[in-house]
Amino acid sequence: MQIRLERRLEQKWWHAALVPFVAIVAALIAGAVFLGIEGFNPLTVYRALFTASFTSMFGITDSLAIATPLILTGLAAAVAFRMNLFNIGAEGQLYVGAIFGAWAGIALGPHLPSILGPLVVMAFAALGGVVWALPMALFKAYLGTSEIITSLMMTFVALYLMRYLIFGSRSYWRDLTAANFPQGKKISENAEFALFSNYRTGWGLIAALVIMLAVWVLIRYTRVGYEMNVVGSSQQAARYSGISPSRVVITGLLLSGALGGLAGGVEIAGRAHSLDPNGLELGLGFAGIVVAALARYNPFAVVLVAVFLGGLRNAGIALQSLPGDRVPVEVSLMLQGAILLFAIGAEIFVRYRMRVVRTTPAIAGEVAAA
Amino acid sequence: MTTAPFGEAEGIVGAPPVVASPDARVVALQAKRVTKRFPGVVANAEVDFDLLVGEVHTLLGENGAGKSTLAAMLCGLYQPDEGQLFRLGQPIRLRSPREGLNRGIGMVHQHFRLVDRFTVAENVVLGDPSQPRLLKRAEIEDRVAEIGERFALPIDPRAQISQLTVGQRQRVEIVKVLYRGADVLLLDEPTAVLTPQEADALFATVRVMTAAGKSVVFVSHKLGEVMAVSDRVTVMRAGRVTGEIATKNTSARHLAELMVGRPVESETRRGTSTAGTALRATDLRLVDGDQTLLAGISLTVHAGEIVGIAGVAGNGQRELAETLAGMRKPTSGSVTVGTSDVTAKGASVTRSCGLAFVPEDRLGTGLVPGLSLTDNMLLTRPRGFFVNRRAARKETAEAIERFEIKAPGTEAAARVLSGGNAQKVLLARELADLGTPGGPQAIIVCSPTRGLDVGAAEFVRGLLHDARQRGGAVLVISEDLDEVRALCDRLVVLYRGGIALEGPTDDLDIDTIGLAMAGVSTASLTAIADVSALTDESPGA
Repeated sequence: MQIRLERRLEQKWWHAALVPFVAIVAALIAGAVFLGIEGFNPLTVYRALFTASFTSMFGITDSLAIATPLILTGLAAAVAFRMNLFNIGAEGQLYVGAIFGAWAGIALGPHLPSILGPLVVMAFAALGGVVWALPMALFKAYLGTSEIITSLMMTFVALYLMRYLIFGSRSYWRDLTAANFPQGKKISENAEFALFSNYRTGWGLIAALVIMLAVWVLIRYTRVGYEMNVVGSSQQAARYSGISPSRVVITGLLLSGALGGLAGGVEIAGRAHSLDPNGLELGLGFAGIVVAALARYNPFAVVLVAVFLGGLRNAGIALQSLPGDRVPVEVSLMLQGAILLFAIGAEIFVRYRMRVVRTTPAIAGEVAAA
Repeated sequence: MTTAPFGEAEGIVGAPPVVASPDARVVALQAKRVTKRFPGVVANAEVDFDLLVGEVHTLLGENGAGKSTLAAMLCGLYQPDEGQLFRLGQPIRLRSPREGLNRGIGMVHQHFRLVDRFTVAENVVLGDPSQPRLLKRAEIEDRVAEIGERFALPIDPRAQISQLTVGQRQRVEIVKVLYRGADVLLLDEPTAVLTPQEADALFATVRVMTAAGKSVVFVSHKLGEVMAVSDRVTVMRAGRVTGEIATKNTSARHLAELMVGRPVESETRRGTSTAGTALRATDLRLVDGDQTLLAGISLTVHAGEIVGIAGVAGNGQRELAETLAGMRKPTSGSVTVGTSDVTAKGASVTRSCGLAFVPEDRLGTGLVPGLSLTDNMLLTRPRGFFVNRRAARKETAEAIERFEIKAPGTEAAARVLSGGNAQKVLLARELADLGTPGGPQAIIVCSPTRGLDVGAAEFVRGLLHDARQRGGAVLVISEDLDEVRALCDRLVVLYRGGIALEGPTDDLDIDTIGLAMAGVSTASLTAIADVSALTDESPGA
């Protein structure tokens, strides 16, 4: 017996839609094995996960608060990935976006009306993301350097830059009045996104949704987006059409970088309110890759997946307060990783189908019956 | 039915005791009521086919008729869903091409499968399971040379593949299957890449092979060579056999009717034009590193004429097309479209000055595989800040109807289209408005009818003729000599990036063109042989 993969001639829409669901279910089953080995009842843990994140108003809004930057890093990855450009450095672009955004919040915030403040923070954050993505984009477009390598390396540079600004130097971003642990300087209240009543989410979420819609319109309805689609599918066709592939590659990667930077901005203006390395080093940028992959690079699906993963992460914290033995917080991260693995694994079944072929041993000279 | 000697055939294959009159011949390979389905399509429906020892049996059909599928089943590449294969009367099942070879059935593919850096002998034994781990080079080389000599396939076993011409590479492929002991050879569109002279040499080899008792299945859609080389012809249409006939009892016209399913009008329409110049290249040179891709090409296409570029693949056709269309910058020389100098101005400017372009590579250059047909229609249309899909969608829907494009709809990705349908989309887009005021005035079309069935090809030729009548200038670039000769008013033959021959189509005979394609200049030709008729043609660059 032999298993063969055959190319599907037709891809039904639900083939693609099924991938994230299959991946999530498979990840939950895989996770259950590990939880079982550790002596937990998986059902109890999963129920607790769901309860913590999606059943109370506080739970839901906390999940949305985590989902907000994930929407933006998810978009950052999706915009690049759909062009076959693998900017995996949204993490670093987020840090630099946070650095730029925090500067704007501290330096410009006091002089701005509170309605404009957070928008200026966001604008600077986007600029930070662009600055950080620029070397990657130029190297890719003109030298063909792998954007995977450059974006990843730049991420570590950004990480240590951010740590240096707070822990390693007496920089503009550091709160020098803090006596004990080094802290970032608070941004002006005028530069903060207002929260909804006493919940932990607010206008930052709205900003992320507006940005998502803008990205969708850009990709779907503008010349820039059209050219990005062409270059993503075939550089030869782009050259044929008179589109400069290198220019469009740069545009796409910088847009991706800007979205990563905006994720940093929404963290600064919406949640952290200061450059706080510990609070920012959550792997939100890397999680964006999972979001984009599960959403199959569709901006609307990015929001749904971001909310789901936001809830998972939110619950990870809540799990520790379960009665009895503490469930490790890493469970939620493990599930997140498993979901990505299964989603990538399931991808092949969108294009191919599996067929079991029965084969009988071939003997030279054997004559098969008609 | 045929003339090859029976006794010799029996000697070679060690045939089973089929005793009969000299006319009842041994069946080397037979397919009985074989059916092969692919998802959504029946590629072969209850096909019967038999190949006698020592005969050349042609599988004739349009693209998509199912002849390649049948050939693939005969050599073991595909397994039939229903039906049965017989080898010398014995039922067989072939699970792989290797099993096919074990039974003496070898396929020579249209696209060569050779390793450039290996020698001929190394390629011949590549993947041969019967070779010892340590190759006995001298023995192999001797045998390769011997096979070459015996079957009129002159080849140097020690030559590296990269140094060989296309025709020589094909010989290597043939030697390869002969070396493995194949008695049945399947040749899949073998002349597609050959000059007429190389094709003649191939036919000579085929005759030597059949005389030696080998049997040949010849897959083709070119009627002329089918008539020249085969003993019998099986015609296929839409996955079924529509006729099986001895070549001597038929004519090209009759075969064409069997192939298409209705009478075919073949007419050559010629035009002459003295109107203005729509496209002009002046001393166009393109040098890449130490390679001269275009060696000073000057040509003119007037409004209201069709000029053809002939030549064997890889002699600068693609580079010429891309340079004219603005996709490549020439090293020197100039390109003029209408009255505008567009040299090195890029594809967009060239197009907006009035030059449309159908490239050689359709899906990937001419069309974007991942985008919808509507979005593909926009590829060569002017774009504002916002993309306006409404007009493009309407245009696409009309094209689908008018060109009878088989597509799920205007929003289907171009990737899912078959080659012929992709080409129709491309032609619909590029031919729209050609020669009308405000539309493009000139077009470059690479292989206009490649991959199209006869009906669609006629339709496309009609479109090009219409465009010419409207005053459009058409430059056809094709490796299919029959096509350019049928279609074009004037011909230009390219050889190694230069013009080897040019003149009005009707003044050039096929031998002259063939020799020019092979790089034999008319000047040296007149010196060597007594071909005084050719002296009218000035030798090319």
